[in-house]
Formats: sequence, C-alpha cells, structure tokens
Amino acid sequence: MKSLDSTSLFVILLAAPAAAAGISLLPREGMEILSSLIGGAVAVVSSILILGTRVEGSFGYFYSDGLTQVMAVTISSIYFTSLAYSIFYIKHIKEPLFKFRWYYSLVDLFAFTMLLAVVVNDIGFIWIAVEATTVTSALLVALEREGTSIEAAWRYTLLVSAGLATSLLSVVLVYYSQGTLAISSLIGKHVADVPILALAVAFALIGYGTKAGIAPMHAWLPDAHSEAPSPVSAMFSGILLPTSLYAFARTFALLQGSPAFESMRNLAIGFGIFTALVAAVILGFQRNYKRMLAYSSMENMGIILVGLALGGVGAIGAVMQIVAHAFAKSSAFYESGNILAAYNSKNMSDVQGVVNRLRSTGYLFSLSALSVTGAPPFGVFIGEFLILAQAVNSGNLLLAALLGISYAYAFIALNRQSIRMIFGSGEDNNSNSTGLDNETNQPIKSSKEDRLSLAVPFINLLISLVIGIYMIPTLLQAAISFGL
Amino acid sequence: MFPVQFTNEIAALLGILIILSALYMQGQSFVDPTIRAILVQSFLLSTLFAILGIQSGDVELFYLAILTAIMRGVIVPRIMLYQVRKFKHSLRETGTGQRVPALIILAVIVIIVAYALFRVILEPYIPNSQVSVPFSLMLLGFLLIISRRNALVQMTGYVEAENAILYAGALITPSIPLLIEFAVVLDIFGVVIIGVILSAQRDVFHTLEPADIDQLSG
Repeated sequence: MKSLDSTSLFVILLAAPAAAAGISLLPREGMEILSSLIGGAVAVVSSILILGTRVEGSFGYFYSDGLTQVMAVTISSIYFTSLAYSIFYIKHIKEPLFKFRWYYSLVDLFAFTMLLAVVVNDIGFIWIAVEATTVTSALLVALEREGTSIEAAWRYTLLVSAGLATSLLSVVLVYYSQGTLAISSLIGKHVADVPILALAVAFALIGYGTKAGIAPMHAWLPDAHSEAPSPVSAMFSGILLPTSLYAFARTFALLQGSPAFESMRNLAIGFGIFTALVAAVILGFQRNYKRMLAYSSMENMGIILVGLALGGVGAIGAVMQIVAHAFAKSSAFYESGNILAAYNSKNMSDVQGVVNRLRSTGYLFSLSALSVTGAPPFGVFIGEFLILAQAVNSGNLLLAALLGISYAYAFIALNRQSIRMIFGSGEDNNSNSTGLDNETNQPIKSSKEDRLSLAVPFINLLISLVIGIYMIPTLLQAAISFGL
Repeated sequence: MFPVQFTNEIAALLGILIILSALYMQGQSFVDPTIRAILVQSFLLSTLFAILGIQSGDVELFYLAILTAIMRGVIVPRIMLYQVRKFKHSLRETGTGQRVPALIILAVIVIIVAYALFRVILEPYIPNSQVSVPFSLMLLGFLLIISRRNALVQMTGYVEAENAILYAGALITPSIPLLIEFAVVLDIFGVVIIGVILSAQRDVFHTLEPADIDQLSG
C-alpha cells in the first residue's frame, strides 16, 4: 500500500509539468501561464509530499532516497518561482525568437526532464534525461534573439552534447562491468570488475562535469547564463548544474568500498577545487553582472563536487549547499532581470547606483550576493562550512586551505563588485551615478517597481536564510563532534 | 550463417572505411561534401551493426542498424543539407583550404595517439582490439569540432563523435537495453532544435561562421 502511494506521487510529480507543457500550446490567450503555474504548483506539492514520506528504495521505475527527494523539491520549487517571475520578465522581450506559448511549454518540458533525471531508477535513463535537458533548454537560451544569445545557444548545445556523449560511454561501461543499470540493484552490491567501473566514473566526471560547468570543460557556461532570459538563467544555475552533478554522484557512488574508490575520489576533488579556484579568480574580472553570477555558480559547483566526493558530513554540506544555492542564486538572477529590464544593459559600468532608481531590487541584489558567497547565516555558509570541516577532519589540510582561499576570494570579489554596482556613486563620471538622468538632466527618481518582480526573489532569498537557520544545530553538532 | 572468420573480416574492413570517411571529412573545406561523408559514414555504421547482429544473433543490433540508417543516414543529413541550400550556393569555409595539409597531419596524429592510448589504458580491461577504431573516431569528431568555425561542420563533428559512441557500445555490450536506441532517437529532436538555432544564426549574422564576439569572452 505504502509503495503504491509513493509510486503515484512520483507519477504525479512527472505528469504535472508534462501535461502543462502540452496545454500551454493550446491557442488560447493566457492559457500557457495558467497551465504552467498549476503544473508547477502540483509538482512542488507532490515533491514535498514525497519528502514527507521519507520512503527509501525502488518503486517500479523510480528510485527514492534522501538525495532524490531533496533534489526533487529544489527543482520543482525553482521551476515554479521561475514561472512566476517569467510573467513579469518576458514583457520586456521585444523581439522573441518564438511565441511565448512555446516559451512556457519549453520551460515545463525542461523542468520535466530534470525531475525525470533525479527520480528514475536507471543510470541509463538518467543519461537520457540529462541529454534531454539540453534539447529542451537550448532554444530558451536564444529567446531574446540577439546575435550573442544565438551564438551562446549554439555553443551550449554543441559543447554540452559532445561532453554528454562521453557519459554515454560511461553508461555503456557500467553495463558491461555490472550487467545491470538499475540503481536499486547496483547500490550496496559488491562491485565486479573494478577497473572498468573506475574508468566509467572517470568518463562520467568528464561528461556530466561538462554540463555542471566543471573546469576546464566550462566554456559554454558563462555565455549561456548571461544570454538566457533571467528566469531561465536562474533555472540553469540553480537546478540544471546540480542535476548534472547528481548524475555524476550516482555513478560515483557505485565505486564505494572498492579499491579504486580512493583514486577516483581524489580525481573528483581535484577537478572540484580547480573549478572553484578558477571561477573565483575569473569572477573578479567580470564587467557583465550576469556573467559574474554565472562564475559564482561555477565556484559553488566546484565546492559541491568536493563535498560530494569527500562524503560524510561533507556530502551533507554539499546537499545543503545545492538547495541553499539554488534559492539564493535564483533570487540573484531574478534581481538581475529587474536591473536588465530597467537599464537595458548587462554592463556593470552602465549600471551604477541601482538603489537610487530601483530601491528594493538594489537591496535585494546585494543581500543575494552576500548569500551566494556564503555569508552567515545563509544556507550556503552552512554548506561551505560543513565541507571545510570534513576536509579538515579527514586530514586533508592542503584541500582545506585551498577551499578557504576560494571562499574568501569569491566572497570579496563578488561583494565588492555588487556593492559598487548597487551603491556606487559618481567615481567613473557616469551619468546615472551622478544622480542625474543623462537625457533630461533631472535628478533620478526612484521608479515604481513591479510587486511580482520583488516578491519572487524576496521569497527565494528568505528560504535560503531559513535553511541556514534551520541547519545551525547540525552545524554545531558537526563542529562539536570534530572537536573544532 | 556465415563463418565467424568472414564476418570478422567484414567488420574490420567497415571499421577501416569508417576511419577513412572521417579522414576525408577532416580535409574538406566545402560544407556539402562533409555532410555527404557523414551520411556515408552512418550507412557504413548501420551495415556494421547488421553484420554484428548476424554474428551474435542479437535482434537489438538489427533494430539499431535500421534506426541508424534512417535517423543518421537519411534524416539528420537531409536537415543539414536543407540548411546549406538556404544559402543558395555551395558553402566553403573561409581559410580551411590553406589549412588542409596541416589538418590531415593532425588527424593522422590523433589516430595514432588514440590507438596508443587505447592499447595502454583500455585494452587490459576491454579485450576487443576493434574498440580502438571507435575510440579514434570519437577523438576525430572532437577534432572536427574544435578545428572548424562553420556551425554545420562542427555539427558533423558532433554526429561523428556520437557515431563513435554507438559503435563502441555495439562492440562492447551489444545487449544494452534500449539505451542506445534512445540515444539515436533523441538526436532527431536535437537536430530540429539545432536547425532552429542555425536559421536564427543565418538571419542575424548572415553567415554560419560568426567572428569572435567580444561580449562572450572572458
């Protein structure tokens, strides 16, 4: 009985966005918004119910454990908030590449493929679902129909598909060595043919790593994030990258307890810390605020990969960080959408003194910037702290030092830029920063901001704060048990 | 049905022809023939799947052969050639003509390196020396993507890399359930999406070889 209930919840979770995608295409005014919002809300509710049941194990085609449940809640929540924010944002797109009906339908399908990736009980289907996320999201990047966005969509499709071809090879090798692809029969089993499985994990790291923005395969990431419409950037950064890391984590977990585990763990940690450091350094040199946020996501993904590979408290921290980062970063991308809609420029030098013009957006953006870089007590801080604690506890002091450097560098670089942009005054003789409008030469009046455009990012930021506060006991427990 | 020796030799011969088709693509500066070469390569691969199917008696491989022929041999190249025709003249990639000798030499080096890597890393675990062919093919596909600017040529590089994975999959574990067929079918959606992006690229840039865009660097 119990398992039947869970199975139907999983079916509803997947059916809701899929149905919304179909209904969105009906030629009826406003239908796309209504059906997508309902689909998103149903997905959120059913994912929370699944989390509430805390069932573990396999149900037919589905596999559920803590990681699956947390991922499902995160994906459906960001999907829903991005839909809500889209209502405000897409009004500002003058010449879309295709009708908005198609936009909503593709967003629904995009969410469907990500949800599918985290609930299926088959490593092969995870690959299919991750590959399908590329198909469903490629056109979303090009929606604004500018030269840059089309080129970004092309790079994204080509690089990510080529990368994912490598992870198909990984799936083939898993099947060759283990004779099955079902997660439920692979987990906890004594693994056969360890060297081939280790090879499969290495291929999975390259393949899914490309999609998760792991350096040096990250070339597509800043382009796609900066050129996609803001609600889509939020979905890319908040949930698509973690979904890809999830796919890697499932393959990686198969090796647990085998002699090759240690070397593959070190490989993953190496890639992760390299990504975090590279992204933290490049972040400081960005002039486009959406690209800057994209590099910050990359830095977070690097740290999360380190946490997943370390295991133990580090893995708990990584999951924490996935959730908290998804809410905080989506909030930051929504605010960047507000700024873009008002200033019509992604360049930080054109956007100075945002608080003078968009008061609430300005404050929210600077808080989101603090949140995504791990300022306490936001959730990202808890995640980063737990990962660092695990690194120290496992005696890997070099890793701990490098983690510390990347946290600190990213924190200073991003917040310095964000403060300059939000509160900046007339240093570089820019009209907007002198407090005068460049056309009328009148003092800039703070314009009235759309309520929806503030409510959605505010709620997401609040959730990332609540997660942080809720997790403080876990943090203290970990600190005490490690004797820190 | 056939003696094993015979089918083995046919499979090896097809492998060589596939690598030759890949080399031909590396040295082509026109877009049209590159696409026709990927068409030929897909049909060669489809024939190879059928031969492997005869050898092992595995029905899955026949499905795969039919799907590969239809999707990658007919539909995908057709959509790409349609894109070429929209330009109303045979496309030639600027600057590739002079680089052909260098590209061919590079491709040969890639094949040798791929074979060496295969012998050192993979062969101890995968006791089928024919897998070295798809391994080289995959790297040649990636080389095509990174050495060219034209979007359609880059796409043939991607199709080639995926051909290589299908090839490797069929050799290593022919009975893999449904997965590879799904990969082939999924491609069709991918190609349609790519078609839309290419059309938009043509409308906005009037070329499929956009120059470096400043906003997208760093």
